[in-house]
Amino acid sequence: MIQLHTPFSCSALRIWAWAGLFLTISQALIAQVDRTQAPKAGPAPTIAIGDYHLEKLPNGLTLIVVENHRLPRVSWELSLDITPIMEGPKTGFVRFAGGLLGTGTTSRTKAQIDESIDFIGGRLSTTSEGIFAASLTRHTDALLEVMSDVLLHPSFDASELEKYRSQALSGIASNATDPGAISGNLLSSVLFGDAHPYGEVETAATLKAITREDLVAYHSTYFRPNVAYLVVVGDISPAEAKAKAMKYFGSWEPAEVPVTPVKMIGMQQGNQVCFADLPGAVQSNISIAHVVQLKPGEPDAIAVSVMNNILGGGGFSGRLMQNLREDKAFTYGARSSLTPDRTLGRFVATANVRNEVTDSAVVEFLAEIQRITRDLVTPEELNTTIQYMTGSFARALENPQTVASFALNIERNRLPKDYYKTYLKKLASVTAEDIRRVAASYLRPENLYIAVVGNRSEVAEKLARFAGNKKVQYFDALGQPVKGYLPVPDGLTARSVVEKHYELTGGVAKWRNLKGVRKLGQVQMGLPMVLESELWIQYGKGLRAEVRMSGQVMMQEVATPAGGQIAAQGMKKEVTGTELESRLRDLDALYLLNAMDKGWEFLLAGIDPQGERPQYVVEVREKGKPADSPPAETLYFDVESGLLTRISALKVGTTGPTQTDETYSDYKEFGGFQFPTSVAMTANGQSLTSTFTQIEVNPKFDSQLFTLKP
Amino acid sequence: MSHPHLLGLGLAVTLGMAGSFHASGQTRRIPFESFDLKNGLHVILHEDHSTPIVAVTVMYHVGSKDEDTTRTGMAHFFEHLLFEGSENIGRGEFDSYVEGAGGVLNANTTQDRTFYYEVLPSNQLELGLWLESERMLHARVEGVGIETQREVVKEEKRQRYDNQPYGQLLPATMEAVYREHPYRWTPIGSLDHLNAASYEEFMDFYRRFYVPNNAVLSIAGDIDLKTARKLIEKYFKDIPRGAEIARTQVVEPRRQGEYRDTIWGKDALPMVVQAYPIPAQGTPDYYAVEMLNQVLSGGESSRLNRRVVDEEQLALFCGAFSFGLEHPGVTLAYALASMGVDPAQVERAMNEEVEKLKRELISPTELQKLQNQIESQFVQSNSSMAGIAESLANYHMYFGNSDLINTEIDRYMAVTPEDIQRAARKYYDPAQRVTLYFLQTPQTQP
Repeated sequence: MIQLHTPFSCSALRIWAWAGLFLTISQALIAQVDRTQAPKAGPAPTIAIGDYHLEKLPNGLTLIVVENHRLPRVSWELSLDITPIMEGPKTGFVRFAGGLLGTGTTSRTKAQIDESIDFIGGRLSTTSEGIFAASLTRHTDALLEVMSDVLLHPSFDASELEKYRSQALSGIASNATDPGAISGNLLSSVLFGDAHPYGEVETAATLKAITREDLVAYHSTYFRPNVAYLVVVGDISPAEAKAKAMKYFGSWEPAEVPVTPVKMIGMQQGNQVCFADLPGAVQSNISIAHVVQLKPGEPDAIAVSVMNNILGGGGFSGRLMQNLREDKAFTYGARSSLTPDRTLGRFVATANVRNEVTDSAVVEFLAEIQRITRDLVTPEELNTTIQYMTGSFARALENPQTVASFALNIERNRLPKDYYKTYLKKLASVTAEDIRRVAASYLRPENLYIAVVGNRSEVAEKLARFAGNKKVQYFDALGQPVKGYLPVPDGLTARSVVEKHYELTGGVAKWRNLKGVRKLGQVQMGLPMVLESELWIQYGKGLRAEVRMSGQVMMQEVATPAGGQIAAQGMKKEVTGTELESRLRDLDALYLLNAMDKGWEFLLAGIDPQGERPQYVVEVREKGKPADSPPAETLYFDVESGLLTRISALKVGTTGPTQTDETYSDYKEFGGFQFPTSVAMTANGQSLTSTFTQIEVNPKFDSQLFTLKP
Repeated sequence: MSHPHLLGLGLAVTLGMAGSFHASGQTRRIPFESFDLKNGLHVILHEDHSTPIVAVTVMYHVGSKDEDTTRTGMAHFFEHLLFEGSENIGRGEFDSYVEGAGGVLNANTTQDRTFYYEVLPSNQLELGLWLESERMLHARVEGVGIETQREVVKEEKRQRYDNQPYGQLLPATMEAVYREHPYRWTPIGSLDHLNAASYEEFMDFYRRFYVPNNAVLSIAGDIDLKTARKLIEKYFKDIPRGAEIARTQVVEPRRQGEYRDTIWGKDALPMVVQAYPIPAQGTPDYYAVEMLNQVLSGGESSRLNRRVVDEEQLALFCGAFSFGLEHPGVTLAYALASMGVDPAQVERAMNEEVEKLKRELISPTELQKLQNQIESQFVQSNSSMAGIAESLANYHMYFGNSDLINTEIDRYMAVTPEDIQRAARKYYDPAQRVTLYFLQTPQTQP
């Protein structure tokens, strides 16, 4: 650009002049950089969702293929579409079945499986709900060979089970100081309780009860192609994927797979403070949580997700993060999640905070949860969050597994085929009013659990004020209630407590001579009408119960040592086995004493000081069961009156274990005996109360009273 | 729920490689272009239009090894401070600008470098450049931010170390391995030091290290190279160059015999940690040690896993991995003993496996397995734009050669069974070893 033909002096001048000119120009360019304003975005790029191929194979296996040749790798994910099941006293067997699946087949040892997978640099992992395998494209056949063998011919080798068990037991020990693991147990246990599969927590006792047969049965029941998806992602065409699927999984036989309905659990009333002690902890792991009834893909799901993101979602802009971290500096991070689920979802807001601000942090959590249910969010918050979620959606598409997971969600949850194609549009249309509405209907600021893992002596009692009952409930590292029983006076035993109850209610000898009773009263079971009840018991012979409405018999039950029957509304059912056995207890006037003599182990565990009146606690276990295993029944006797007030039992039925509670109150005298005139039974949130108005001692029994109908 | 918790220490071995796959004969090069601005800022660009996103990252060559011995934790603390705002960005606005644009942002600090990133929709490239240039040009470091982040970092330390099972594993190990070199403290540093630091010290730190000639701007994603270059010039070219940085010259002296210690804590199961000094990352022997660790703990069939965890069930997990660092680093072999197992027994089994490798060459089949594993990891790694941007920056910062993203695998593939044996003999040397037991403090009966 510089004119070189001009004389030197001149050119030197000109160069300076030009240089000056350039300087100004470049300064002008700098001046154009307006640093005070964020630059404007360019035109929004199109977000394209890749396609997938879906096909059902002859054995019922659903094949989903997402073809993506960017990298020379293919992943194969087998995913079962099954409902969670109750595991009861063997909690952990479902996980064991999944974990042990990959540890041996009828023709391969664990070492051989590991060697084959490692040799090709592949991955193979198994769970109770499927198998994941991946490798470079050229190793596909070697990979599928092993994957198919693991799926179709697992050996569930006994020695592998023992290995797995001992590692799981070590795992429990290792988790005992991990606040995250303890919090997980605590939340499962308090949120879902005994009645829901998500509430079951593995303990040493449950792990020890698992047998090889449990695993074999689980595999043969649930690993079936008709409830399975095979999701193939990567460097492969749908046609090739299908050919491989046919070759390696074509012989997999379908079978009926049971669907276990999951019980709905009752909602607790008032906030509860649940604390697990971690001695020496320098932080409190706080979770504010409750269950949520929201299934994936339901109409409110997207608005709920936006609401949760504003409250405590993924990034740094969430209210919890801004409040508890950026403003108060209580924590490294505060977040929340609201997880829809096909059975029961959950809301959890969480942070780890230093001990001295634990209660202040709870105040902020509760205030933020209140606020979002009450006030409209600002347009800026709404916009930032919708943009953030739009961006997250686009970023997720970088991974081809995302398209596969979209496909799987659509199929599993029966969502419209265009659910994800229209997702961004639905997201953009969420309003501040929507947010307030879903916050108010899905968050329960008055009925939540405040679950804290931390230093009990420094932190716990300061949290009592947040509980509806102003009490802190204590739990152990496995989320089981810490009994906190007080010691019993010297000389008192389980037998003396039980005997005292019989003495106070009439005397052991008099009970022994009692022939039978007839009780009349009412039953309340949450219905508007009152039902009349009549109960005949002839000790040792039989019992007969009738429930009537306006004189019409609604339900009739007969139980004798020879068998039992229940008839209701024209239907008749035979009562046998353990169910019959439990009814026959009522034929024994001194059942508790006699059970003790038959070898059941009664243990006086202590005095429970919680509740309105202190209670003696007697735990009952089957003969030979260790004293730290969960008791089959727990009996409560009022310390002051000495009378039996409650029997709480863990019963294992065909649909899993259930917790039942029977309470006895309003003892009154009839014919020289004290009988409880109010008996309430609760099981899984349902309750039934019987009130007896008249009790006849040694009535005249009709010989036909206990006859079983053919 | 009752799976053993994996330490929360990021013990996973990352080989930090990506690019071409030789054994299969297929090649997928990661193309990039790079240049320096006049102020010394090194720029790397990778163009890929498969997803409409862009990763904008800046890596500063400053980590905990650059800290004063009385101000440990400064580099990491600074990482927190640099989200507080700039002359044109208010407190908290880094977050809201990025998230409001549909992006994510974060940062992390190691012994050797500090790394900031945003992943944005690709039409927001300019926003990312503006934010990062503001951070480099005139970050605002002031009272409220300092006080707030001091508390936040203390909570981070409590959460990650003090209140974590085996949280002292890494700090205690590094402190035992290094006696002179600044690697003896971990990036989280000391809370007392942070309390003692004055405003002037913070500003000095910023002026010294947060300069373009100490940084790499690495961008990967849906960009047009020409436009990107122009925008980079616009936002970065006028940021003044800083003074040359003098680096620590401390050389860790060789040890005269093994060092053993027991660290008491509350965790129930014993942890055994053995640490051996190794050469700096990128040296030929470093790759031999990496392959040696792969023999020991790469996959379920690896030697430590098979024997110690599976066959003898002495441990819940057992492995070996290298802390690849800019200066000579450390390789760790570790095991979490099963309930009721004497840690000495675990240690013996680990040592026997190492001794076997000193005596016998690995077989051609085992070598083939290692190479297949390396190749597979190589293909899987760097599948995201953020990962590619970081790798490109790393390779430039430590080796002056970003093309290692495509070729580093050759260095692994060149390792022979003899190299592995030699590495075992030379580096898994009992006389250079630090052995630590992490045991539960005995309970005293009340």
